[in-house]
Amino acid sequence: MNQTDIITRVNTVLTEGFEIPPEKLQPESTLFQDLELDSLDAIDLIVYLEEKLELKVDTEQFKDIKTLNDVYQLVQRLQTKTV
Amino acid sequence: MNVAITGTGIVSSLGNSVSEMFENLILNKTGIKALPDWQRYNGLYSYVGAPAHQYDEKQIPRTTRRSMSRMSEMATIATFQAISQSGLPLEKSNSRGLIILGSTSGSPETLEAYFTKLIEKGGPEGQLSTSFFKVMNHSVAANVALALGFNGPVLAPSSACSTSTQAIILGWELIQTGLYDFVIAGGADELHFTSTSIFDIVLAASRSFNDAPENASRPFDKNRDGLVVSEGAGILVLESEAFARKRNAPILGLIGGGAYLCDGEHMAHPQAESMFSTMRLALDRCQVSPEQIDYVSAHATGTVVGDTQEALATGKIIGKDVPVSSLKGHFGHALAACGAIEIIASMEMIRRNLVIPTRNLNEIDENCSTIFLPKTILQKKLTRVLCNNFAFGGMNSSLVLCSP
Repeated sequence: MNQTDIITRVNTVLTEGFEIPPEKLQPESTLFQDLELDSLDAIDLIVYLEEKLELKVDTEQFKDIKTLNDVYQLVQRLQTKTV
Repeated sequence: MNVAITGTGIVSSLGNSVSEMFENLILNKTGIKALPDWQRYNGLYSYVGAPAHQYDEKQIPRTTRRSMSRMSEMATIATFQAISQSGLPLEKSNSRGLIILGSTSGSPETLEAYFTKLIEKGGPEGQLSTSFFKVMNHSVAANVALALGFNGPVLAPSSACSTSTQAIILGWELIQTGLYDFVIAGGADELHFTSTSIFDIVLAASRSFNDAPENASRPFDKNRDGLVVSEGAGILVLESEAFARKRNAPILGLIGGGAYLCDGEHMAHPQAESMFSTMRLALDRCQVSPEQIDYVSAHATGTVVGDTQEALATGKIIGKDVPVSSLKGHFGHALAACGAIEIIASMEMIRRNLVIPTRNLNEIDENCSTIFLPKTILQKKLTRVLCNNFAFGGMNSSLVLCSP
């Protein structure tokens, strides 16, 4: 996946899984404030990312995630590792 | 102390409002449909069911809805209707109110998905954080409380097909104590092949009408061959009459009283004697004689044994002059929701002074001839109605509903 694919697929997870309007999905959007997710959503977001993007996400790696851009970068790193 | 009904809400196979549901009853419609997809399940031979009318789950915010399976969604939407009708001031009265809502089990649909993945993954890997909130036994009650922002006491009785009737009777009992002013009571269940399987493996689900689903549920009929599972939610707002009158709430009906008894004899075989005892106790508790009952809303699901035992018990208590009917041919059997749905339908019969007859009752089984089973809509002044529901485990419940 290139960067555009990553953004598209992560955003699809957020619109389909959490009903977030696409226009709210800006790279600088914070997950907990701007996108109004909470701790339960964060766990489910990991499950969806693993399922839809075929990744293995360590919950420890997710603890420092604050913005949507952080999610894109994490997916990029995990993808590189998998390769 | 009189207990008033001030609000009702319904999601069902015949419609998602009381008026829509009742118009369909008058038109003798059924919600039962063919479900040919179920043929893929090994060992299941009943391929009929009654799904609820489509509803808009988006009226429930996502963060509340995420922990709901369909049974909780239906219960929440029905509760919104009931609260809206009653005008109940929830935020000010929570310590004096109760929520009592139940289901047969946690969500069967979620249980199937949960265990399918558990087995596939060899452990809990990949499970969503919200799965448990859909499968826990008090899922419906907890989810409705969350949707309402209700911070008072919440109870979740579970007795399969007697669930919502028990919840309503328990609400009546607790308001009688003087500890509570109001109770939101009822039940919900969702249609799933495992629910039908429970009945099918004991030969209690209809198998002979897979190609004619509209004829499949036929309580008291000579050619009945079992029940058809449905789904939905039925919710009532109960209040002490004094509390309701003080706030000028609409009084839609009164709960005369009720009783629930376990037969303690057999898990699956209905016992006429125990049904009779339950009806007798319900009448005694509200000091109503059998002669004062104008109509009986029967549980009768269309099983060979259950309908016969119920007809025996009902005939023994009210004789052969009082009209009796079952609505399972219209709705199918909504399990934990059926009692509340039938009580709501009975309230509407009282309001309109008419009796909806049993659907598909072409030839009355001679073993059920102990009661009066009308075959057409009956115009009759209705003041007191006896509502019955009986469940696996010998869970019998009877309630007397009175005109306001």
